[in-house]
Amino acid sequence: MIKFEKKSYLYKIYTWFPIIFLFVSVLNEFDLNYLNLDYFSFNFPFILIFYFALKEYNKFDYFLVFIAGLINDTVVGLPLGISSFSYIAVCIFASYLRNITIRPHLIKDWFYFLFVISLINSTNYSILFLFFSYDLDIMFYIINNFFTFLFYPLLAILLNYYLKVIHD
Amino acid sequence: MASSRDDFVIAIRSAFLKKTTKQKFSLLTLVFLSIFIIFLSSFNFKVINNLRSILNEVVFRSSFIVSIPENFIFNSYSKIAQYSNFYSEFKDNKKELENFKSKEILNEIIISENNELKELIEDYKISQNKILAKVIVDHSSPFLKTIIINKGSFDNVKIGTNVYDRNYLVGRVIEVNYKSSRVLLLTDLNSTVPISITPGNVQAIVIGDGKNSGEIKYVKDNLIQDIINQSIAYTSGTGSIYKSGIPVGRINTDNDKFLINFYSDFDQLKYVFVEINQKNETVLDTNDDNEKINTSTLESTEEIKLEILNEELKILNETNDKFIEENRSLRDEVNDTNTKILDLQKKINLQNKKISQNTIDQNELNFLRLNLLYSSKCLKSGFKKGFKVGTPEYRDCILNKGRKLND
Repeated sequence: MIKFEKKSYLYKIYTWFPIIFLFVSVLNEFDLNYLNLDYFSFNFPFILIFYFALKEYNKFDYFLVFIAGLINDTVVGLPLGISSFSYIAVCIFASYLRNITIRPHLIKDWFYFLFVISLINSTNYSILFLFFSYDLDIMFYIINNFFTFLFYPLLAILLNYYLKVIHD
Repeated sequence: MASSRDDFVIAIRSAFLKKTTKQKFSLLTLVFLSIFIIFLSSFNFKVINNLRSILNEVVFRSSFIVSIPENFIFNSYSKIAQYSNFYSEFKDNKKELENFKSKEILNEIIISENNELKELIEDYKISQNKILAKVIVDHSSPFLKTIIINKGSFDNVKIGTNVYDRNYLVGRVIEVNYKSSRVLLLTDLNSTVPISITPGNVQAIVIGDGKNSGEIKYVKDNLIQDIINQSIAYTSGTGSIYKSGIPVGRINTDNDKFLINFYSDFDQLKYVFVEINQKNETVLDTNDDNEKINTSTLESTEEIKLEILNEELKILNETNDKFIEENRSLRDEVNDTNTKILDLQKKINLQNKKISQNTIDQNELNFLRLNLLYSSKCLKSGFKKGFKVGTPEYRDCILNKGRKLND
């Protein structure tokens, strides 16, 4: 198990890891599709934001999440504000779940996450299609949604381990 | 019932408005802010465009830096893979190069001829100026297929500028910043390219399929039956979005679908060429005074001349196309005939061999048959003169049906 001195610089950097990782992922736009599988993609920022908003992690500033959304729009070439809106919506849903849950459970969170990303992706698709006349393949959205849902528990376990190191 | 509704309201309110000590803004504020930005970006305000341009510059550079480690790993892997089949590729490339060299000469002749004809009918010609640009951001997003290059309005890049990989079309510029631009690739769902398909000169429109190829959606006059597998597609220039005559890809028929395999591999783009068009007005040697006097007569004669030249140009282009087409078909025919001749030559050789073998066999059979009859006459024994078995004399004796008196 990794252990840090609480006041060391390394510890401070470690606590900022989620937000650093969020920014790196939106700037780099990981698609992790090195096998070139057709349609394969998943939305890593959604998983990261949902998890840390759910855990109310104090270093995970919503304003920085908002900025990350703007960067994502610039990198991908979407109209400004779309991703920010999606990311903040994920935060809101996660925050609502946190408020109504007394005993958190991974499976419940997982299916709630599916509902949230489906709703947000549908909203995204509708806005882009109706207001900005973007021609998009809905299949990409459905598969992206599915893989994002599929990877959530795996990443949640890894991130649990990350938080455990901090709390210890 | 009322208490559960109260709980819901409290939870919602808390989710939207509650700020922990570390949060600077409530989620409600940020939601409104993002909606406001979406609203603004749907209009074409100059301030927003400038802001966006600045943001683009910063983000693209940062994205380039952040992508360095991933790109390094990926490039190293592809380099190792390339080295492993380096020799076989080299041999293939050498052959291909020889082929291209001969085609290049033909191409140069056509280009120079084309330029001369253009100069004849127009008072200006368009000089093509391609500049090299580096791809700084190339994220294969599943939704939008775009790349960012390091040339912008500073380098005369404009919206709609054509972008090439070697001589193949890659896409066009859709967003220009000061020192960077976004290029919409041909594979994007929003990309439409008017093309001509040869042979057959069929006009069509290609739309990106969002993956790695394009699909032919609209074929002029429903000439679908004229499209054959492995036909060549090049830009037709219709609509003036793309220049005419740029190679795009090869047609691949898949059931009822007509797909285009683009010549260029859009996942491997590192450098691209951006074409900047500059119109060079050629100054005509005409005297101003004379021009004023003779304007009306000159205009009419010039118009007639222009018309004639246009007609000539049209005819020349058509005959040129015909010649090229004929030349190609003749070359194919010659190749076919050569292969046929070679096959026939092989057959003849084989049959000759068989005939000679047959003659040998016939002779041998004849000898054996005579041997049965006349061996007693030719064979040497204790009381009789003759020849030893297997000697040429014995063979001659058998073939002569026994010994002659003077033997």
